Amino acid sequence: MKHFLLKIEPVIWLLFGAGIMVGTILLPGYLLTVGLAGPLGLLPADALSWERLHGMVSHPIGGLLFRLVLLALIALPLWKGAHHLRHFLIDLGGGGRDAVVAPLLYLLAAAGSVLGILAVVRL
Amino acid sequence: MAQPAHPQAMTPSRPGRTRTAPPMKPGNWPSSARYRTYLAFDFTGLVYLIAGFVVLRAAWAFGSGPEAWSALLASFAHPVYLAFHLVTLLSVIFVGVRFFRLFPKAQPARIGPAKPPPRPLLHAGLYVAWAGVTLLLVAVLGGIVP
Repeated sequence: MKHFLLKIEPVIWLLFGAGIMVGTILLPGYLLTVGLAGPLGLLPADALSWERLHGMVSHPIGGLLFRLVLLALIALPLWKGAHHLRHFLIDLGGGGRDAVVAPLLYLLAAAGSVLGILAVVRL
Repeated sequence: MAQPAHPQAMTPSRPGRTRTAPPMKPGNWPSSARYRTYLAFDFTGLVYLIAGFVVLRAAWAFGSGPEAWSALLASFAHPVYLAFHLVTLLSVIFVGVRFFRLFPKAQPARIGPAKPPPRPLLHAGLYVAWAGVTLLLVAVLGGIVP
């Protein structure tokens, strides 16, 4: 397992790096609106309405961009999270369990990413 | 032309156990500010991991129709969700500030004929991109632009 983890390390690092960079750039806009301002009633009534957002998703070009941004918002934070959490656990002395913990975390991120692809396809 | 060094040139004069310090953490490592910040940066991984699944839940609800989407937005008004989204926002800002400070230093000196821009310019550019994308998303999702 250790050999396999070392072999896929470049792919993991690519997704982790993209998670830090793209995830961090995209998340504040989503969190400020869908996560905080919308639920607190600080946005216009129809801003987050299903009909308005569905109109955006149905647009031939804007809809593709919407889906890509949404997929990036789902998948990239998962990979950043899995890799950083793995190293957090190693730093706390869990290096001996890494051969079990690391595959579990990466499988979690992979499963979430696949579900993310399905979620944006079915919009 | 100098001759290559003898393979045993650096061996000690008397054979014996090489005196090297074993790797160990400093005794005060959890309380040191530098380690605390480093661990906090790693710990944001848990926040990002949960956030990814929360966005997945939102996307799934949106794809399930207007009723599921309304129910999701209503659930996001729960104090636990509001607190989580606030903690996530603070974590993202922490990660961004720390990572964007590191990013210019981690660039290769040259890729072929191209050299990266000066570090302050690269650093400022990341903040401009961050603010620009955030403002654009807030404008689109907040209903400011149609």
